[in-house]
Amino acid sequence: MSLLCDLQLRRYYHIPNDTADVYLFLQQHAIEECVAHYGEDNRETIEGYIDFVISRELGFKDHQLLPELTPLDLSWDRYADVTNVIIEYNDAIDYTASFFRELFDLHVQALEIRYYHAVSLDNIRAFVERFNGTTLKYIKLVLPYDKSQDLQLLDKLVKQYPRIKSLLIHSSPELRQDKIFDGSVPVVFFDRPVNSCTACGEIRANYFVSNLELFTESQHYNTCLNRKLSINLNGYIKNCPSMQEDFGHITTASLRQVLDNPSFQRYGSIRKDDIAVCRDCEFRHVCTDCRAYVEDPEDIHSKPLKCGYDPYTNEWEEWTQHPMKQTAIAWYGLKETNN
Amino acid sequence: MSQKILILSQSHLESTTDHVCLWMDYLQIPFLRVNGEDFFQFENLGDLPDNTAIAAVWYRRKINSYPVEYSLKQPDFHTQYTLKRFLIDEFNGIHSFLFHTIDRHKWLNDPITEDRLNKLHVLALARQHGIPTPFTEVVTTSVAIAALLENYRELIVKPLSECIFLEDADGDQYKMLTKTINSANLRMVPEKFFPSLVQEKIVKKFEIRTFYLDGECYSMAIFSQNNRKTKEDFRNYDTQRPNRTVPYKLPVELEKKLDGLMKSLGFRTGSIDLMVDMEGQYHFLEINPEGQFGMVSYPCNYYLEKKLARLLHKSISHEEEIHQQPQRKERTAAVAVFPGES
Repeated sequence: MSLLCDLQLRRYYHIPNDTADVYLFLQQHAIEECVAHYGEDNRETIEGYIDFVISRELGFKDHQLLPELTPLDLSWDRYADVTNVIIEYNDAIDYTASFFRELFDLHVQALEIRYYHAVSLDNIRAFVERFNGTTLKYIKLVLPYDKSQDLQLLDKLVKQYPRIKSLLIHSSPELRQDKIFDGSVPVVFFDRPVNSCTACGEIRANYFVSNLELFTESQHYNTCLNRKLSINLNGYIKNCPSMQEDFGHITTASLRQVLDNPSFQRYGSIRKDDIAVCRDCEFRHVCTDCRAYVEDPEDIHSKPLKCGYDPYTNEWEEWTQHPMKQTAIAWYGLKETNN
Repeated sequence: MSQKILILSQSHLESTTDHVCLWMDYLQIPFLRVNGEDFFQFENLGDLPDNTAIAAVWYRRKINSYPVEYSLKQPDFHTQYTLKRFLIDEFNGIHSFLFHTIDRHKWLNDPITEDRLNKLHVLALARQHGIPTPFTEVVTTSVAIAALLENYRELIVKPLSECIFLEDADGDQYKMLTKTINSANLRMVPEKFFPSLVQEKIVKKFEIRTFYLDGECYSMAIFSQNNRKTKEDFRNYDTQRPNRTVPYKLPVELEKKLDGLMKSLGFRTGSIDLMVDMEGQYHFLEINPEGQFGMVSYPCNYYLEKKLARLLHKSISHEEEIHQQPQRKERTAAVAVFPGES
């Protein structure tokens, strides 16, 4: 199968390869030429394909080809050496070190703060306060469910700190979604615990995103790790909390040294086109990827372990049950969390 | 490096300036952002940016809203309006002093031409450069409109200056947008009226917004025709079904003519509005020298904010070549990117 991505309206359409071939042919040819090429028998089918793109406002009919409608430039660039940060928050860690300040002076765009254990709203306020005066645009909070922290209090929190643009409440009694701050901030109540980073790295269709940022970055870099940095529960600097290797502790490390370390940068350049199986997958440029848990832990270019999609059969399977994945599951010690 | 780039902008609602500043900082280009609001913090004329310290100026915006309010003891609508006009003139008196104190060649766009840009003049100039423009006239009577409708099936009426938004005492808002006049609604037009700009209505296939940057044209096609709401003016946004906006390349000859037009006005940047009719012919509409370019840059992935930062950087090296000043040691780029923030 192929994927037709509408990067502007953030939609995608899963289409058969034959349909994709017809669209590609139509890029350079008139409708009548296309019918002549595929045969009069296929006229209705071809017209159906054309009606589909018109109905989705993906195209229009004209009396000539318009070469002035040039292909989108797929280059990717950002004004920051680190664009995204994840912090696994720990009360015992000193977040005032120079490493921490320098990191957010880099113009980090988005921050996820994960609280695995119960935390007071005052504690959250005190931490979020640190980002006033930085150019950070987006904070996502991951919090454990606490009955006393109702939507009204959360609403007050996000109004006070408008950088908080999304909340995930784990260990909730039920799975549901709400919105606060006049509908602008989603609050997702998740009915399972998020108490360690081993839950991360799942590839699911729900996580696919069809937008310009991800699509273009994916052409050149790893969408999971490029220009991303994490500070784990113990204060160690990592590419992502789930990776084994660390690059020092935030109280002592030098930001420049971490960023200049080739080992820190090595995952950023692994594109989907370099990864086995993914390189043939139609979802590769709307997918999040994961380099922390892979099918063959010895081969960093192998497929994400927690992906159950087979692009050759177009079928989704439960990854935890897959016989070929059991060795890797055991290797990462993931057994307990998934059974 | 001894000189900086001066960015004149406003503290709020200016994501384009913010974005350019982030690139400037990342590329280590020394700059000084002065928002209109900062003029209220200056103690005297000596606090204005100094010509010798400035290599180039990007004049983006003046001010969003004054940080102070004044009203008479018994305000009425008329005096409030007169007072507001007066404060605007007062503010412009100090702000546009910079047009004179900072060498004219340092401005990315000639500031005086930019501030006094005249739509009719730009259209005439475009025609001189061989750029097709819709038939345009300024009329004062319905008889004149009736005569024009003999030659043109439909006309549009739009302001000679800029569109405004009005609000009445009940809080109802009125948007001023382009309107169509044809033989069917001609009877609604009063016999005599304020001198008004009318233009032949182009039945458009799509619109084009071109951002001109130092000789290059970065264009985007805007498809709003399917969308009845936005048929006449794409600013009538439909958030449910946004217009399709895609990269577009103008014919080279037209780009050359637009380049000639921009150069004749002394502009190195600006937003150009064009229309493509059903036959594929181009029609030039207008130039917005300080026009938004984020709305072109983002959907077309042009990185115009970075390109503008680089262009400004070139001006620093250029200024240094001219003056061949010995390099003084100075701290650079220690500038708040979002000075509006507490």
